[in-house]
Amino acid sequence: MQVLIKEITKSYGSLKAIDRVSLSIEGGEFFTLLGPSGCGKTTLLRVIAGFAVPDGGEVFFEKERIDPIPPHKRETGMVFQNYALFPQMSVFDNVAYGLRARKMGKEEIQSRVSEVLMNVQLENLAHRYPNQLSGGQQQRVALARALVIRPKVLLMDEPLSNLDARLRVSMREEIRRIQKRLGITTVYVTHDQEEAMAISDRIAIFNAGQVQQIGTPSEIYFQPKSRFVAEFTGISNLLNITVSGYDRERSLIEGEINGEPLRMKGAETSPGNDLLILLRPEWIKIARSETDTPINLFRGKVVSSSFTGSMVRYQIEAFRNHLLTIEVQDPHEDELKKAGDPMLFWFKADRPVILMQS
Amino acid sequence: MIRRYLNVWNIILLSAFVVLFLFVLYPMFYIFQASFLTPETSQFSLESYQKILSKPFYLRCLRNSLWVSALAMIFSLAVGIPFGFFTARFHLPGKSILKTLATLPLILPTFIGAEAWILLLGRKGLLTQLFHQIGLSTPTIYGWPGIVLVFTLQFFPYVFMMVSASINSIDRSLEESARNLGASSWRVFRTVTLPLVTPAIFGGALIVFYLSIENFGVPTLIGEDYKVLAVQAYNEFISEMGGNPSMAGALSMVLVSITLTITILQKYWVERRSYAMSSLRPPEIRRLKPLPTFLIWSFCAFFVFLSLFPFLVVIVSSVTKTQGPVMYFGQFSLKNLANAFQVAPRPIFNSFFLATVTTLIGMVFGLAVSYLVVRRRGPATYLLDLLVLFPLIIAGTVLGIALAVTYNKGRIVLTGTWMILVLAYFIRKVPFSIKTTSSILQQIDVSMEEASINLGVPPLRSFLKVIVPLMLPGIAAGGIIMWVTTLAELSSTIVLYYGPWTTMTVQIFQYIGSGDFGPASAYGTVLIIAVLIPLFILNKILGKDLSTTL
Repeated sequence: MQVLIKEITKSYGSLKAIDRVSLSIEGGEFFTLLGPSGCGKTTLLRVIAGFAVPDGGEVFFEKERIDPIPPHKRETGMVFQNYALFPQMSVFDNVAYGLRARKMGKEEIQSRVSEVLMNVQLENLAHRYPNQLSGGQQQRVALARALVIRPKVLLMDEPLSNLDARLRVSMREEIRRIQKRLGITTVYVTHDQEEAMAISDRIAIFNAGQVQQIGTPSEIYFQPKSRFVAEFTGISNLLNITVSGYDRERSLIEGEINGEPLRMKGAETSPGNDLLILLRPEWIKIARSETDTPINLFRGKVVSSSFTGSMVRYQIEAFRNHLLTIEVQDPHEDELKKAGDPMLFWFKADRPVILMQS
Repeated sequence: MIRRYLNVWNIILLSAFVVLFLFVLYPMFYIFQASFLTPETSQFSLESYQKILSKPFYLRCLRNSLWVSALAMIFSLAVGIPFGFFTARFHLPGKSILKTLATLPLILPTFIGAEAWILLLGRKGLLTQLFHQIGLSTPTIYGWPGIVLVFTLQFFPYVFMMVSASINSIDRSLEESARNLGASSWRVFRTVTLPLVTPAIFGGALIVFYLSIENFGVPTLIGEDYKVLAVQAYNEFISEMGGNPSMAGALSMVLVSITLTITILQKYWVERRSYAMSSLRPPEIRRLKPLPTFLIWSFCAFFVFLSLFPFLVVIVSSVTKTQGPVMYFGQFSLKNLANAFQVAPRPIFNSFFLATVTTLIGMVFGLAVSYLVVRRRGPATYLLDLLVLFPLIIAGTVLGIALAVTYNKGRIVLTGTWMILVLAYFIRKVPFSIKTTSSILQQIDVSMEEASINLGVPPLRSFLKVIVPLMLPGIAAGGIIMWVTTLAELSSTIVLYYGPWTTMTVQIFQYIGSGDFGPASAYGTVLIIAVLIPLFILNKILGKDLSTTL
């Protein structure tokens, strides 16, 4: 089931929650709306479900326009942030609720509920009540309840935000597995970029009611188109470069940052231009000596370090007054540096991403 | 476009406005207008207001009202604040029973309290005679001292409940961090605890003042010649029957302006200074040494006893042999009770019938309005929220007078029917229902409803199927409070009842007035028991007490 969103606008008073947003979500796709709180992502999900009435624009499921249809006839399955399980009903009755609303026969309800509970590994807890379940189990019931009606679209509103970190990781993998097995079109809302990257086929990044960028997790990470996207999708070192020349033969931009020269791949640009570039922490490498690399070798000083086992993260002072973050995977014990140590670092010319040019 | 607005909820919204307009706003406006007309020629004049301001009699009524209310407020604070602190902070034997008993006076009819004190300390009172026999004279109960005594004993629980709730909402960490920063325990109390409790103290004080100034039964029965506004408005209304209710209207307006001022103070002064805290760890309950514990316990127990003793007296009186105003205490007789049930059961039936009808209507209306106010926020529902609470500032006698004069002629004639009683009760008590139902609805997340709608159940059915069952405890609690307070309602009844629809409260009131304490106590006992049983249900089955519902 393809979901098409055309020019949707929604305001609350003077606040534009969604500002002319258009999206196309493919059938069977796991599509995530990612953004900071208040960016409009949840409002858009509620527009699809029918709980928020847009001021303008259209929503289609395939060819059918659904925004005039009342929410209870839209055949969407929604998983709420707080699960919204009916506390007075058992797990079975919660899951059967939507089927009973559809006047389904008793036996069919029995078999459909059992099947879906098996799918989420809750077949033994059918008689329990929501308050007798752990957070993770409640989450599964909410998912089962949404899936059992075989909705056209599965809508999930920050479903994992109430779980602890470990459970969140295993649940997101399970959700992804079930989604792929059923092949159900899914729109997923989260503010957690790591979760979005791990679970999604494609991500739309929202800010202030507008879509900033749409792409696969890797596109968004490696080729952010704006400063906002870069900063939202991971730790970002942003540097201002002044162009001093261009090497057409090797398509190399020559520039400097606070007087220190550097070279990077990129389209032709004229001297005097200012560039804003992105360097992810893991793109920067530590050099052992000054002869390690022919280009982009810099000298800095460690300001602080945090060691997490598999990785060590340094804050480096370099380019006179810039603070850079560098991540070193698989660090060796005798190579760990401490605050005040000098450090040589470098990066490949094809690494920097140009975010802005002026 | 029209279809979009023509849904169930808008129809309910509209009918709620119509009801409130017809039976609250319009009658109030009607007597407001009447207060500016001369009784004889129906021309605009300020005559009534001039009278109030120039005649010593009316000025005295105003002064009396303010005096008894202020005293009742001060004494209620003097008892209620320590009571609240003691029960919130210290281990006391039998504390939970003590606290439950302490809230009972709130729901017991004040005029029955007045009756009991007359039985004890009145001219022919039990204690008066006892003291007389040993050659001592007792202070008179009649006049303002008796009024203040009854008000204090029945209203101090409001102060206690608000103070104690406020103390319990202070997170322990606040006081602990003050101690940690080097403050002495007295300093912590002065600079942290007390400022946080102050709004509750003021809130309680205003409630006591309001309830005292609008009370009708107590000053009539025990005040005798000591006239207050609520009583005088009624007297003027009775003497103006058929004429233009100018004087009654003007006195009502004076009363309304006082209660309105109190409400505005409450709303803008107290509520702004209240700090909503979701306390995770309420303050530590301390165990004191035996002697201080005993002293504190005695203080609390003494006032609980003093406030409930009158009702015990009434119950005992109901099974005591009587002859007119003379009580033969110690001589058992079922004559009065038998009389109430066999010879004159009509008032009992009337009271139960009216209370039940009012409650049923009120529960449905309360549910609908709560939903609108909580779930469909908007300018219209905000206005509705204010409007339904408006009757809370209108004294019972005033509302009664307003309804009586508005609907005794014209297109809708209701005066002299039982329906006008139901209307008055409904208007006065429905805020209880709305308050309890909306507070429980606020705790139910909107997503619960949305989940049901999302699964294919239309909105109204979703509400009935999923939300209403979850709200049942709150709806029931609101219903119970409506029922018991309607049973005990005197002030609007006395204005609006007519012969066949005499209620228990009116019957008791009349018997006390004529000195027939035996029959009065018999009906009083029925009333007390009828009020206590539902309260017991509320407490035991629904696990709620009055402090969460009033």
